[in-house]
Amino acid sequence: MGEHDGQVRVVSRRRFLGRSAAFLGSTAAFGILQACAGRATPSSSAPIASGGPGLSPGASGEATNPLGVPAGEPLEVVIFKGGYGDDYAINAEKIFNRVHPDTKITHLGIQRLREQLQPRFVGGNPPDVIDNSGGGNLDTAALVAEGQLADLADLMDAPALDTPGETFGDTLLAGSQSGGVFDGKQHVLKYASFVFGIWYSDSLFKSKGWQYPKTWDEMLTLSDEIKKAGISPWTYEGKNPYYFTQIFNQMIWKHGGMQTYVNLDNLEPNAWKQPEVVNVAEALYQLADRGFFLPGTEGLTNTESQAEWLQGKAALLPVGSWIENEMKGLIPDGFDMVVQPTPSLDASDKVPAQGIQSGAGEDFIVPAQGKNVQAGKEFLRVLFSRESAKFFAENTKSTTVVLNSTEGLKLGTAFDSVITAVSTAGPNLLDPLAGYVVWYNKLVTEVNNQMASLLTKRIQPAEFLGNIQKVADQIAQDPSIKKYKRSA
Amino acid sequence: MRARTPRDPARARRRRRRARFLITFLSPAIVLYSVFVLWPYAQSFYIALTQWRGVSANRTFIGLANFEKLVSDPNFWNALGHNGLMLIALPAATIGLALFFAALFAQGGRTVRGAGFYRVVFFAPQVMSVVAIGLIWSFVFHPTIGLLNGALSAAGLDGLKRTWLGDPDTVLWAIALVVVWQAVGFYMVLFIAGMQAIPMSLYEAATLDGASRWQAFWRITLPLLWGHVRTALVFISIGALDLFAIVQVMTRGGPNRASDVVALFMYETAFSFSDFGYATAIGVALLLMTLTLAVLMLKATQREHIEY
Repeated sequence: MGEHDGQVRVVSRRRFLGRSAAFLGSTAAFGILQACAGRATPSSSAPIASGGPGLSPGASGEATNPLGVPAGEPLEVVIFKGGYGDDYAINAEKIFNRVHPDTKITHLGIQRLREQLQPRFVGGNPPDVIDNSGGGNLDTAALVAEGQLADLADLMDAPALDTPGETFGDTLLAGSQSGGVFDGKQHVLKYASFVFGIWYSDSLFKSKGWQYPKTWDEMLTLSDEIKKAGISPWTYEGKNPYYFTQIFNQMIWKHGGMQTYVNLDNLEPNAWKQPEVVNVAEALYQLADRGFFLPGTEGLTNTESQAEWLQGKAALLPVGSWIENEMKGLIPDGFDMVVQPTPSLDASDKVPAQGIQSGAGEDFIVPAQGKNVQAGKEFLRVLFSRESAKFFAENTKSTTVVLNSTEGLKLGTAFDSVITAVSTAGPNLLDPLAGYVVWYNKLVTEVNNQMASLLTKRIQPAEFLGNIQKVADQIAQDPSIKKYKRSA
Repeated sequence: MRARTPRDPARARRRRRRARFLITFLSPAIVLYSVFVLWPYAQSFYIALTQWRGVSANRTFIGLANFEKLVSDPNFWNALGHNGLMLIALPAATIGLALFFAALFAQGGRTVRGAGFYRVVFFAPQVMSVVAIGLIWSFVFHPTIGLLNGALSAAGLDGLKRTWLGDPDTVLWAIALVVVWQAVGFYMVLFIAGMQAIPMSLYEAATLDGASRWQAFWRITLPLLWGHVRTALVFISIGALDLFAIVQVMTRGGPNRASDVVALFMYETAFSFSDFGYATAIGVALLLMTLTLAVLMLKATQREHIEY
């Protein structure tokens, strides 16, 4: 079914390159790296009033209402009420009503979306727009395969709400939406941005005189040194080592380049046995083989391993930048957590060591069978406006994919290191929530399971990759699973 | 006396009235049960024959393909193997311990000091939710701050410390321990109730004949308690084929499927892999296995009923 969607990829890659400069501009707007600004950024957003950006009420319907929201039809919004709450969505609904005063909005903030929404999809009466996130979310790939999600192309090309002269798509962080593209169609829009890497306490490293390494050999040497100092070098969420599989992905991408990684996504024969993938698996195995993990790590959940790390029992931890918010209240004073990308495996790496995984969460979808599809899209145009994104940042202390939306906000050491990591990475960013990670839950589960065995030395790297390859082959041959392709 | 025939008009009227009365009161329950239990059961037999992602009304009939996939799925056999081990371990341990405690506290009207207190303590886990129990025991088994490893350290037995829930060799038995811990109290109370119905005179006679408590247990208590033991056996066995909640809370089947059970595998297939047709086939297989097991068990443990 899914064939190469090269054409669309070319377009989005062009957009990506065109906007890598814009990205630097965005970091400047974060208020950290003003000097790096690559291009002038609008100093303030256009005020949103009824009638749309900078337009008089008498302007043509297409300009004030580019998506053709029907007047007076109700809009139903369902928000995952998790770590970010749902105040930001309620705020966006207020802005929506400023633009479309006669749309009656029903708002629902819930936790377990699957239980409540799955029967409505089956029954053909889903809500108009959904924040499909959290542990109990709906399987996006399955929804796409069943044609349940609207194509957001018209939204991407519509004028942005409060950034005059740019399309909606132009106002989003470069590359942040690639994980929401299925068969060349944008079906998901991601809102809250994050970085994924290896975290440590900057104060601890400084007091011991340790330097975060640039190569894997140096990493092994450093780990040895940390171990000699009486601290376990590493810990991770042992019961379900998903974050470690992301480290694995990041290293494969850097060592072998995007093509090597995309071969895994495309379920190419023996993709998991490519020499670059083997090298990375063998490197990670070294951590287990040399006893670098905190004893008992394999019995810890993610929050338990994070707590051990905060107590100083382990030095290095793979996780995403939500960690500071997640462990709020448990972080010792002066811990100064910072993030770094994975080191290069060796000199032959295709992507430089400063490359890092940068992605976005809070997946917004517009059901194709919703009663008011256009208003669902319009809600996203409002939510992803600069005014709304700024509210989100203030309200949740997290950033969004919306460019130029966090002027003048102060947000802690972890946040600063995220900004530094992303700006040093330049164009070398990998979306951790794209490709096989979102297409094939079964493969993700298998990589997690096998990673648990590899990191406890119950299997060797060859068996680890062999077991994953077996499941990848099964998926490739299973007609009930919809296949997707992408190109590097 | 007049012959009682069904044609007796007064009797027939009485009967009709009675039937109407019964139907009026039973029908709401029957309707609810049919709509929410029987109908979904019946439906699942059909869904098991389809390919269905569960997120639209779009289902394709594929015959027995899901069941063919099932018999050749190593993950299914892995999970079923774990249920099989539990099927042997749980009834043996639970019933054994429950009988032991019940005999200690109630056999022949004799008891140990503080029996009432122990009964309450042993029964307490039964009134707690499985989720709470799973979380509490996850902390007991916690590798660094857990009570179990802490106690082993304190006793100077560091060599026995394990990552109980992270080690494929121990994880299943750690979970089994929790299940037995929770169930023993309930079956103990069941057996105590049974023992209290056994006439004291039997034990008095046995004691006069010089029988030990041990002999009295095997020759009097167990045979007269057999009906209760059978019930317990069937209940615990059905439970051993499920175990979804406790495994989901404690390990989610990990590490690397070392504690996976069929019910959890079904859940994962449906909700993580969006393969509802296949998941329903797993459910149907599980239903048939449970029914067969219950029937076989009742047949195999049938004894002549002893009146007393």
